[in-house]
Amino acid sequence: MPSTRRQFLINGIGVTASLAAMPLLPNALARTPRKRERVLVVLQLSGGNDGLNTVIPRTQDAYYRLRPTLAIGSNAVHALDKNYGLHPSMGALAKVFEEQKLAVLHGVGHTVQERSHFRSMEIWHTASTALPLADTGWLGRLSDQISARSPGSMPALHIGAGTLPLALRGHGHLPPTVRDPKGFLLEPNTPAFASSREQLLSASSADGDLDFLRNSAKSTYTAAKRMTELTSAKSSVSYPNTELGRQLKLVARLISGEFGTRVFQVELGGFDHHSRQAPAHQALLGQLSNALAAFQGDLDESGHDDRVMTLVFSEFGRRAAENGSRGTDHGAGAPAFLMGSKVRAGLHGTGPDLTQLVDGDVAVTTDFRSVYTTLEQSWMGMKPSTRAKALPLLG
Amino acid sequence: MKLSRTKSALAEWRPTPGNAWDASAAAQLLRRGGFGPRPADLERALDEGVDRTIERLSEAPESLEENLSGIHSLLGVGKISQLQAWWMSLITGGGVPLVERMALMWHNHFATSNDKVDDVRMMHRQNVILRENGLGDFRGLLRKLAKDPAMLIWLDGDANKRGNPNENFAREVMELFALGIGNYDERDVQEAARAFTGWGTNGRAFAFSPDHHDTGEKQIFGKRGEFDGDEALELVLNHPACREHVARKLIESFVDAKPEGAAVRELAGVLVEREWNIGATLDVLLRSELFFQPRVRRGRIAGPVEIVAMTVRCMDKSIAPSRLALAADRMGQSLFRPPSVKGWDMGRGWINAGTWLARHNELAAYVVDSSGKPRATLGSAFSKRAEREPSERVLNTLFPDGTDRAYAGAMRTAADACTSEQQALAQVAALAFSSPEYHLV
Repeated sequence: MPSTRRQFLINGIGVTASLAAMPLLPNALARTPRKRERVLVVLQLSGGNDGLNTVIPRTQDAYYRLRPTLAIGSNAVHALDKNYGLHPSMGALAKVFEEQKLAVLHGVGHTVQERSHFRSMEIWHTASTALPLADTGWLGRLSDQISARSPGSMPALHIGAGTLPLALRGHGHLPPTVRDPKGFLLEPNTPAFASSREQLLSASSADGDLDFLRNSAKSTYTAAKRMTELTSAKSSVSYPNTELGRQLKLVARLISGEFGTRVFQVELGGFDHHSRQAPAHQALLGQLSNALAAFQGDLDESGHDDRVMTLVFSEFGRRAAENGSRGTDHGAGAPAFLMGSKVRAGLHGTGPDLTQLVDGDVAVTTDFRSVYTTLEQSWMGMKPSTRAKALPLLG
Repeated sequence: MKLSRTKSALAEWRPTPGNAWDASAAAQLLRRGGFGPRPADLERALDEGVDRTIERLSEAPESLEENLSGIHSLLGVGKISQLQAWWMSLITGGGVPLVERMALMWHNHFATSNDKVDDVRMMHRQNVILRENGLGDFRGLLRKLAKDPAMLIWLDGDANKRGNPNENFAREVMELFALGIGNYDERDVQEAARAFTGWGTNGRAFAFSPDHHDTGEKQIFGKRGEFDGDEALELVLNHPACREHVARKLIESFVDAKPEGAAVRELAGVLVEREWNIGATLDVLLRSELFFQPRVRRGRIAGPVEIVAMTVRCMDKSIAPSRLALAADRMGQSLFRPPSVKGWDMGRGWINAGTWLARHNELAAYVVDSSGKPRATLGSAFSKRAEREPSERVLNTLFPDGTDRAYAGAMRTAADACTSEQQALAQVAALAFSSPEYHLV
């Protein structure tokens, strides 16, 4: 057999996969011993989340001066310490904080004066401020390393209805998008159809692109079958009935079911609140908090909590002062969250000083890339994307 | 020593008994020069011959003007999905086949995304440039696009100012649009960026700001001068690598993803001889031995827009173009939204578990519902030549080149298990659409 081909077993059926097709094959399906490998979940808050009304600096007078209509009263927040508290709608996440499973990182961002959603997201996704724009994202590069170590894995998945984020684009492959919270759903998939489909895939020998397409098809069908098994199993953990809740539930099922994927990106959009911010922001933060808490609870219950770390970030925070429409405009630094039972819980970094604004913005005090290095190197045990130093955020 | 004269790859193809003008050759021309045959197209092509079939690729449908202008009243709404649906309607039959083919190729070459431009009118205007100039003088096309507002926003023209140049456009014009890596150095990029300073937008129009233009001396490709943007562009167009860059693109798109150097050089010669006219150059390519080699037929993995268009065309179905655009999006190609200035990753880059799932589900859904029952949209597709077996009728339409016997046998078995003829036609079509063989075009 030529050295570029390898035998794999998919559900007991021998399959000869060419190297190029291998990234499609889920790890859990290859007959290799399973390790309890660490997993990274990234939740992107798109649109620029208002950090000051998420982690509220409840003792700073300047906060109340800058936000005459949007400020949240000190007594209404869920206190994290004597100076900061979570938004009133984030009670569920405050409980995760009490359980020592949440780290709040102050002032995370980049120092490029860039208030375009598009450009700022590019910087976060590529882990670089350089132009021309890099072809690959930080999670894609991480997935490339995972693939190199365990060929045949499906290292990363994008969960959601949108197009594949740049963050996940790697050199070797583009990770699949899972649109439906029930996982890959094949239609039609009647027994007759499935059996004919199977027969056609092995009707004759193939090489080149046809061989590649057949292997891609086979691994897709195998992954779909496995996802359906995992998502249709009964569970006692309840999630909020929101899109994010359903998506995180899928992620938890894939993790506890040892599907083999190690990097997930999920998105929650709608944070671009230029006017009448308060009710919309409150609703979104409530969704976020409830879904995150349910996700952590699910992992705790299945015993996989010690191998999962979740990062929550947004492309930028918002201006410290509210605008004339009871909203906020694009800003700079903002808090990020790390959630997991292995995180060093608590507040980290230098909190915002609203009397020391930089061009009207909360100063960036933590380079976002040092958060990435922490996750790439200290958490996943891989080579970091950049030279930024890891932070002591893991327990 | 006597060198043997190598045969020209671009010599005009003459059908032979071993490589005849048959359904396979005609399908190659209709798939690559357009978006695949409609049911009657193949037979007509065989009757009319290769010259007339090539001519027809450039013929306008009767309602072309209306089809093109139909979008105008909707541009004000500002929804990119409407622009996507409009283009999809032109691609699937509302436009001139070869013109739409070329516009799609150039959209991937001069890849500009509305995600950054964020203006449907500007994206439409760029699309009109690609359509109206895509088969004309390449130099004219590049000059127009260099001053196209969508392009200027996409590649940061407005930010390119004297004393603080932004190299984005200068770099991409060399790396991607006209020369290719290895044919210029960093200095050329930096100096050309200075020449382009001051090119920006005012509203939705090109605007030159003399205040922001760097009038100093520049050195580009070893030549010195106080070049402005127009002159820098001429230097790029006169660079010897430019003609081959364009020729390679044409062969990659129409013939073979990995062209041989000799063929590229030969086509580059044709391009210059035909005064950079893309249509005239393509005419030579589409008539060549190179194009009709049996080896290259059904040898490319179809792109999403392409496979969706070919599928509705072969069934002669009218399905809402917005639905078709959405299907292509799910398969990884959202028109007007390429993932980067490099365009979409072609070939195997189109395929992962998510996009394969979308190909399987979206195409099958044109003929069967989720429980496998025939859809009303199947209608009378594949109903011609009723004397033949259902599976044979479907396969003849979808695979004019033929299929291997095992594949045809498995299809016949699947059809035999169906309870009605309509069910059999739908089942075989859905199975074919979701089979890897169908995605090689």
